[in-house]
Amino acid sequence: MRKNIFVRLWQLWMRELAFFSRRPMMLVVMFFAPVLLLLFFISLMGAGLPTDLPAGIVDEDDTSTTRTLVRTLDAMENTDLRYRYSTFSEAREAMQRGEIYAFFHIPRGTTERALGQRQPKIGFYTNESYLIAGSLLMRDMRTASEMIGMGVSRQTFVAKGMGDNAAMAAVRPIAIEAHPIGNAVLDYSVYLSNIIVPGCIMLLVMIFTPYTIGLEWKRNDQRKAYNLAGRSTTLFLVGKLIPQTLLFSLMMLLCDVVFYKYLHFPCRGGLWMMWGIGVLCILAAQAFGVFVYGLLQGNMRFSMCVCSLWGIVSFSISGLSFPTMAMSPLLQAAAWLFPLRHYYLLYVNQALHGYSILYAWPSIVALLCFLLLPLLTLPLYRYAFRHAKYKP
Amino acid sequence: MKSLINILQIAAAEFRFIMRDHGVVLFVFFVPLLYPLLYAFIYTNETVREVPVAVVDNAGSELSRKFVRMIDATPEVSVVANCVSVAEAERMNKLGDIYGIVVIPDDFDRTLANGEQAIIGVYADMAGMLYYKSTLLGATNASLALNKELKASRFYTGATARQEAIATQPVAYDYIPLFNPQGGFASFLMPAVMMLILQQTLMLGLGMVGGGTRERFNGLALPTARIYRNPFHIVWGKTLTYFLIYMLMAVYMFTVVTYIFGLPSLGDFWTFVAFMVPYVLACGYMGITFSSFVYRREDCILLFVFMSVPLLFLSGISWPSSAVPEFWKWIGMLFPSTFAVNGYVRINSMGATLGQVSHEFIGLWIQAGVYFLISVMFYRRELHSRLHKKR
Repeated sequence: MRKNIFVRLWQLWMRELAFFSRRPMMLVVMFFAPVLLLLFFISLMGAGLPTDLPAGIVDEDDTSTTRTLVRTLDAMENTDLRYRYSTFSEAREAMQRGEIYAFFHIPRGTTERALGQRQPKIGFYTNESYLIAGSLLMRDMRTASEMIGMGVSRQTFVAKGMGDNAAMAAVRPIAIEAHPIGNAVLDYSVYLSNIIVPGCIMLLVMIFTPYTIGLEWKRNDQRKAYNLAGRSTTLFLVGKLIPQTLLFSLMMLLCDVVFYKYLHFPCRGGLWMMWGIGVLCILAAQAFGVFVYGLLQGNMRFSMCVCSLWGIVSFSISGLSFPTMAMSPLLQAAAWLFPLRHYYLLYVNQALHGYSILYAWPSIVALLCFLLLPLLTLPLYRYAFRHAKYKP
Repeated sequence: MKSLINILQIAAAEFRFIMRDHGVVLFVFFVPLLYPLLYAFIYTNETVREVPVAVVDNAGSELSRKFVRMIDATPEVSVVANCVSVAEAERMNKLGDIYGIVVIPDDFDRTLANGEQAIIGVYADMAGMLYYKSTLLGATNASLALNKELKASRFYTGATARQEAIATQPVAYDYIPLFNPQGGFASFLMPAVMMLILQQTLMLGLGMVGGGTRERFNGLALPTARIYRNPFHIVWGKTLTYFLIYMLMAVYMFTVVTYIFGLPSLGDFWTFVAFMVPYVLACGYMGITFSSFVYRREDCILLFVFMSVPLLFLSGISWPSSAVPEFWKWIGMLFPSTFAVNGYVRINSMGATLGQVSHEFIGLWIQAGVYFLISVMFYRRELHSRLHKKR
């Protein structure tokens, strides 16, 4: 009796749902892990920018002038000058102990030299082993140092009879006004959570796909499933993976709602556009998993290993923290083979810039190419269904 | 003596289990050996230089052109286009050709001549923090240099160079990055990545072997062979194999990888080895503890791999630990990687002594002790229930 294709699909889906309900692992991967990751990242970087980073001061001069300087610096948003050290080497050791990320050094005689117009020199030292903390503190300390100098020369100009504005212009004729496009407050949560949480979901999808397909072989159920799908690999894969696609897409929607509606992260292209991109990337990750499993002829563990190694590298090669343009040309080309790279580019185009998606067409095409990958392995699947066995 | 032989037997059996499974071999040998190289290759350029930016020079004067040349001369940015309008520059940004726009207002010279402050707009692409950092740094440095010249020519004509220097900058300052001086990305991230690779692959290896045992022996966590009878011996024997492999891997990372890619290496070798002992032990015992929850060997790939990403953030290397919420700090203390990353960075990149990382060092020993006890109790219960089943 020939069964209708929809009847077969329905039966496959019901089989999957029954499967999900029997194995707690499925629920963990498809529900708890994404939710936990989301909660983790938004609470970890909830502050946006790390404020009050611990820093120290070595004030060998200790006059009212230098104390004013210390107060100026402590008032800066990112700096918390909570430690005082009497010598330079003491401060350096505190840095090695991890107590502080940076410190200011005011040598003896600074005030005296400043009053005598002999250009004293102060120093600030940061620990760039902690790149974010180090560079944020560097920015504050540099501004403070500039301000001290400017304060002195401004006083000179005001004393010469200039108005406040004119004195400011004389001190600093050209000023730079920064406009960060799309993320005006330099929120690190916007910058990182936006990519890392969907990236983790894609990583899970990538590993989960060969896992669930492989379980058929492991439980020696592959023939049954194949027959249920009317001996059609395509129907088997669609029946197997669509329920997962739906669940993971819901998780992606949850992320988008939390990011763009609840936390109001910048999103010019609109929530549905970002969700569409997310779903496309989930499909691409699934297609990649299907491709690897087919290519490795049903070796479940090995394909899971390959997928996890691939997925982990994508965080680095996507260029979200270290730009791809600064990598070797070989890696720049290789970056095309990672779905997360395209998610990142499309996110920048849609959420941050809000340009037309046509400007990011290469990434869309690349993701669509990922969807075609399984077609290459269909014959291999046919072979695997007939001959491959789970190897313990 | 008997105990020692028993421990060695268990260790040898564990080694055979590792070698029998390609997946485990991949995680235990291939990943620790090759992944550090791959990551170092990705980050090998350390910093972003010459970020392409466009200039919209509405003033078009000699001075504004000079300013553009000064920006171009900075190592941070490279002026790749001179656009007539912001719209044109924006189009280039849409196509991904540039990552920043510098806009010079048309009244640039007039404002300066009137003794007012001229404002230069810098629009930075926030696709990555490093683009923003470079663009802003380049523009700021150029403006500071030009400011100095302008002030000197305007107010201090006829002064000596020294007088001029003092007048334009009455208080000088020096900025010295003490550790990782070039602010390199590989030098910053690689130490953390290497420590995480050790922990994650060790856990995967132990988890997969443990899951494999359960599959083969109908859900039992230990093979039925006679050598498995003393829980202490089992824990010591199993971890001995991994301990030897992973100490070698750690030394490989500390020496070979660090040397090839010129990562910071201020650390003393024996300090490092002494620090790694509790780390590898803690990872091993934690691996056994976690593997007690794993019933199928593929499950641990699903569970452990994605955890690497949050663990990296918990370590406080990228997101400063002073800004990590209290709750997550406590969670972070459950994992050896949190202590190890911080300790290793300080030993290797900052030349800290064991005394200066005592907090981390003691933390790792405590973790090793606690996870060891849990592992022993786990196997004790396992052996116990086996006896009951036989009856």
